[in-house]
Amino acid sequence: MTAVRTPPVPPAAPAVPAPPSQRLAAGARLTSLNLRSRRVPTALLALFLCAGALRAVQHWHLMNGGVLAQQGPMVIEAGAAAMVAMTTHSPFGEAERATGRWLPYLRLASALALTGIAIGALQLGVTGTSLPGGVLLLARNVIGVTGIGLLAALFTGGLLAWIGPIGYLGLAEYALNEAWRNPWTWPARPPADRGAWICAAIVFAAGLTAVTLRGPRTSLSD
Amino acid sequence: MTAVALTQRTARFRPARALRLEIKHNPGVWVLPLLAAVFYFNAFRTAAGYPPTWTLRAAVITGPNLIFFTVIAAGISAWVATREGRRKTGDLLATTARAAWPRQLTVLAATVFWMVLAYLAGVAVIYGMTAFQATWGGPPWWPVAAGAVGVAAACAVGFTCGTLLPGRFTAPVVAVAVFAAWFIGVNAANSVWDVPNASSARGSPALLVATNGGRPQDVAVGVFYHAAPDVSIAQVMFMGGVLLVMVALPALLPAARVGGARRSSFAARRRWLTVVAAVGIAAGVAASATAFSLAGTARLSAVTGWGIPALHDAADDQPIPYTPDCAGGAFAVCAHPAFAPYLGAISAALQPAVAEVVGLPGVPARAEMTTGDTLPAVAGTTSVYQYSPKLEGVGGESFWVTPAMARAAAWEQGTQQDFITWFVSGPSAQEAPGPTPAQEAVAIALLAKLGAPVPPGYPQFSQPASQSGSSGMSSGSATQPTATAAQITAAATSFQSLSSAARHSWLAANIVGLRSGAVTLAMIP
Repeated sequence: MTAVRTPPVPPAAPAVPAPPSQRLAAGARLTSLNLRSRRVPTALLALFLCAGALRAVQHWHLMNGGVLAQQGPMVIEAGAAAMVAMTTHSPFGEAERATGRWLPYLRLASALALTGIAIGALQLGVTGTSLPGGVLLLARNVIGVTGIGLLAALFTGGLLAWIGPIGYLGLAEYALNEAWRNPWTWPARPPADRGAWICAAIVFAAGLTAVTLRGPRTSLSD
Repeated sequence: MTAVALTQRTARFRPARALRLEIKHNPGVWVLPLLAAVFYFNAFRTAAGYPPTWTLRAAVITGPNLIFFTVIAAGISAWVATREGRRKTGDLLATTARAAWPRQLTVLAATVFWMVLAYLAGVAVIYGMTAFQATWGGPPWWPVAAGAVGVAAACAVGFTCGTLLPGRFTAPVVAVAVFAAWFIGVNAANSVWDVPNASSARGSPALLVATNGGRPQDVAVGVFYHAAPDVSIAQVMFMGGVLLVMVALPALLPAARVGGARRSSFAARRRWLTVVAAVGIAAGVAASATAFSLAGTARLSAVTGWGIPALHDAADDQPIPYTPDCAGGAFAVCAHPAFAPYLGAISAALQPAVAEVVGLPGVPARAEMTTGDTLPAVAGTTSVYQYSPKLEGVGGESFWVTPAMARAAAWEQGTQQDFITWFVSGPSAQEAPGPTPAQEAVAIALLAKLGAPVPPGYPQFSQPASQSGSSGMSSGSATQPTATAAQITAAATSFQSLSSAARHSWLAANIVGLRSGAVTLAMIP
């Protein structure tokens, strides 16, 4: 073995901060890539399809009469909430978690924005029709069930997060049939019921916080 | 073992082993707790709240229970179908010697296994509970078959959707679509059932779906007459057809060959598979279309429910022979053995009521349960007090409660209100205005002696303003002037204040006139 003289390493150049315009462009690109990797554009399409379905249900009276008038729209609202929860899934998993320091903020913003868009789209879909409970009930259902979906994502992963909203739907439909008064079954409560709003908001806040801080469960098999 | 022998052994297709492996690794097992929770809240609690008769309890398993099982089965099947795309094993599997369709079919079969197993476990729980509580009859099996085929069909629908559109959102979209489709069907089914009488009911394909809540119209369904299995048979045909189409469809469509296998599927080369799939689809469409049209020809019978002429067995129209269960001594109270758990409560309610009027003209010798909408014979013309589980009297008590709830004071008082009203009212109890004010006053006084309140079915007392006793005009009758609730209450109080002997002797002298409407409120002492 012979000794090799290694040239001296030159001192690193001092880091030059990128100009604000470049940082903004990078941020926008990062956000765009994040949203696309979560299939947010497809989710938006699905949300507007839900709004269209709700419109059709109300326009043609496909589910009316008695409790069904409330149960039917709730199915579509839960579907919209499931879409929001499913956008938490990342195809990159652990590698992205280890390197992306902006991920929690992106998760928070994405979930909040999509929930708002879901409520807006569904309300837009039923404009001019008599949705039982009105926008208050619609918003509460979407908020609460989205929270359940986000919490489910912690255990099942984002791709199976729809199981939570669908499972809660089973409970809520029974609660509506039996006219339960428990605020945790908020779909069965009046639109302005304070207890139901508190419960739905707690579930949403818990789901949002958990997904923001921890992210959905990732699995190699996903 | 030589290399040749090993090759020959491994080359043999062993579907049972593949199925066993798929069952072992299928995610369907992970949704079993969720299905158990949904089953408990929807099906089990609903069934537990029904009277313990087999046909009623069986209605639950094709009602809400089937809806939730199919929704989750469709969603999880769609999820399972996207597995190869999700794990990016399409190219790898495209190089295997087997066609995509049998492989996918194995995955579907494993999912169906778990979902149907869960469904049947739920049925076993409901039927097991009923077996302990029911006192007559046996389990109907056609609804079980309809439910099992329905769950399998939902799995196939979800699986085919997941195979054709392997996306992230396929599973929830399929689940929500199946849910919405059910509710649209339920909405249509509700309108079919919403008819004033059996003669005006018309068959509809909506009969293939349960009504909202799945509750039958008649509490005595399947008790006095067989519940015709025609609709369940049509359901099996319809859902079986859907199952056949959905299983065969992926074998026909090139797009159904997942991922990288699209260019080199064996399915395209194997002509026999294509032929079998085409025949399967044709048979499935024929079965579903036939069931769909058959449901449209259904006719509603007041005693056996919906019947489809092409599937109907005339033997179902004959009443089922039975020996009534009876209780009591001098005044025997009899009930159909299916309602034997209620016999104690009925007897406990009727014995003191009969004791209050014993010795008067027209006092019945026994009470018997009757079937259907037939009105009981008028008091004074019969020695039998007939009561029907289907008809709700002025007392408002109903056989839709469980036997435990029937032992409550309110239910027994309702039974007493019905009996006393029947006894003093005569024909007017069955006519439009109802009992006359005099009859109501006497009945209220007799009921007060029994500790029972004013029947909620009396028109003067059912109006909100009459709670104070100041208003609530009687609708009157042809022979009697109108009266307010207050006037009736005053007359009842006066009559109640008489001694037992005086009251009894007045009733003995005037009960016939009271029933005929000749006695007015002013004539009551």
